[in-house]
Amino acid sequence: MTGARRGWQATGRNMLRILPVLIVLALWQFASATGVLPKSLMPSLFEVGRALAGLIASGEIVPHTLASLGRAGAGFFVAVVFGIAIGVLMARMHSVQLALEPILGLIYPVPKPALIPLFMVWLGIGNFSKIAVIALACLVPIVIATFNGARSVDPMLLWSARARGTSERRLLWRVVLPSALPQIAAGVRTAIAIAVIVLVSSEFISSEAGLGFLIFSYGGVGAEDAMLAVVLYLAVLGYALDRLYVAGLRKAMAWHAFAH
Amino acid sequence: MRYGEGSDAVTALESIRLSVEAHEFISIVGPSGCGKSTLLYLVGGFLQPTTGEIRLRDRPVSGPGRDRGIVFQRYSLFPWLTVQDNIAYGLREMGVPRNERERIVADHVRLVHLEGCERRYPRELSGGMQQRVAIAQTLACNPEILLMDEPFGALDAQTRRILQDELRRIWRRGTQTVLFVTHDVEEAVALGTRIVVMASRPGRIKEVLTRGFDIDDGDEFEANPAFAALKLHVWRSVKEEVDASRT
Repeated sequence: MTGARRGWQATGRNMLRILPVLIVLALWQFASATGVLPKSLMPSLFEVGRALAGLIASGEIVPHTLASLGRAGAGFFVAVVFGIAIGVLMARMHSVQLALEPILGLIYPVPKPALIPLFMVWLGIGNFSKIAVIALACLVPIVIATFNGARSVDPMLLWSARARGTSERRLLWRVVLPSALPQIAAGVRTAIAIAVIVLVSSEFISSEAGLGFLIFSYGGVGAEDAMLAVVLYLAVLGYALDRLYVAGLRKAMAWHAFAH
Repeated sequence: MRYGEGSDAVTALESIRLSVEAHEFISIVGPSGCGKSTLLYLVGGFLQPTTGEIRLRDRPVSGPGRDRGIVFQRYSLFPWLTVQDNIAYGLREMGVPRNERERIVADHVRLVHLEGCERRYPRELSGGMQQRVAIAQTLACNPEILLMDEPFGALDAQTRRILQDELRRIWRRGTQTVLFVTHDVEEAVALGTRIVVMASRPGRIKEVLTRGFDIDDGDEFEANPAFAALKLHVWRSVKEEVDASRT
């Protein structure tokens, strides 16, 4: 098979991937144009598209995007650092596992945006409370993934490393963390989506900038087309972040056979 | 060697007495569950005997050490390291300088015929090639004793035969003592200079046979009547144990 032909096949596969999305968008526009979906309920795709083009062309969306990415990025970064550390500690030290497992179990099902008012009382209404809520929400899947990954290291690999002169202390860096990496990477991927979700909810409450703020303020003045434009923008942004992450992962972890 | 506590405890091995000379090739064969791998893990220092002790050059074994290298049936290799980094693993842990490391790795890549695969990852290799890397990884640390836990058990018959011949060649040219666990009678006789037959429940040594003839590189030893006779003897001995454990 030639390289060019393989390239075309890959393009074909990618086209096939977005086909269902295109069909849904076409149905939306068709329903609006024929009056099945009245304007009072939902603006048409073209109107939303026009609003989105306006937001981008005027540059209005740029500062809001930066504000949002800053908050989500900060919370996500804190969660990755602490999540991996806590997960490894839980897997390696039984006392830490006993102490934290029930707490994690309780935090897991709590809708994190519900904690925003409480965090505001503690940390003020500024960025800190929002970043803290995002960090907490992202922390849980990373801790669980790291814990499971670090705990399920093949004992034969540990034996193999010990027999080849690795000390107990170095086992963590030489064997436990690398072999837990695929699971950690999956937990981090979940955290990216959660960061975007919690970000928007946190910006609904008392903020002056950010994509969540934009959605909330357009919704408040009845500008449904602009509101949906930001939602669409967020969807594309979240999807792009995920694809970027997965592409980076495949490159950085060529030794692992990824399922997705 | 006992596993577990109280009434659930299982005696995996009992009154094992075996002394091994330098540069012997010991095959340990027996029905599954006879504790042959447990015996290997005891020598490796991964498990501690409940009673008795393992002595190496008159010093008791207290844990894993670089004087003993081990090759498992699977999972000896680190999937996140390339072939050359896997082979270099033990050397890095020992603090061998880089130039020296590269020379040793190149030597061992050649020894197991893996030229051109240095930068590949284990998942990109066939099972047979992975076991070649595992052998090279273990030999690179220059252990006195090579512990092999059914290293060719997951391979197809042709690959297994080729790797057996290569292992014999490597052993003949080197100075290592090999303890080789297998459930394959032909493999045990084709490789071992002495063959330990084990019985189960509790695991113990049933008999130790010495292969009275030599097998040279490239020999078609299957044609040797002495080989056939010894193989038949070992097979009957093992079969007795398999039948006994069924009832």
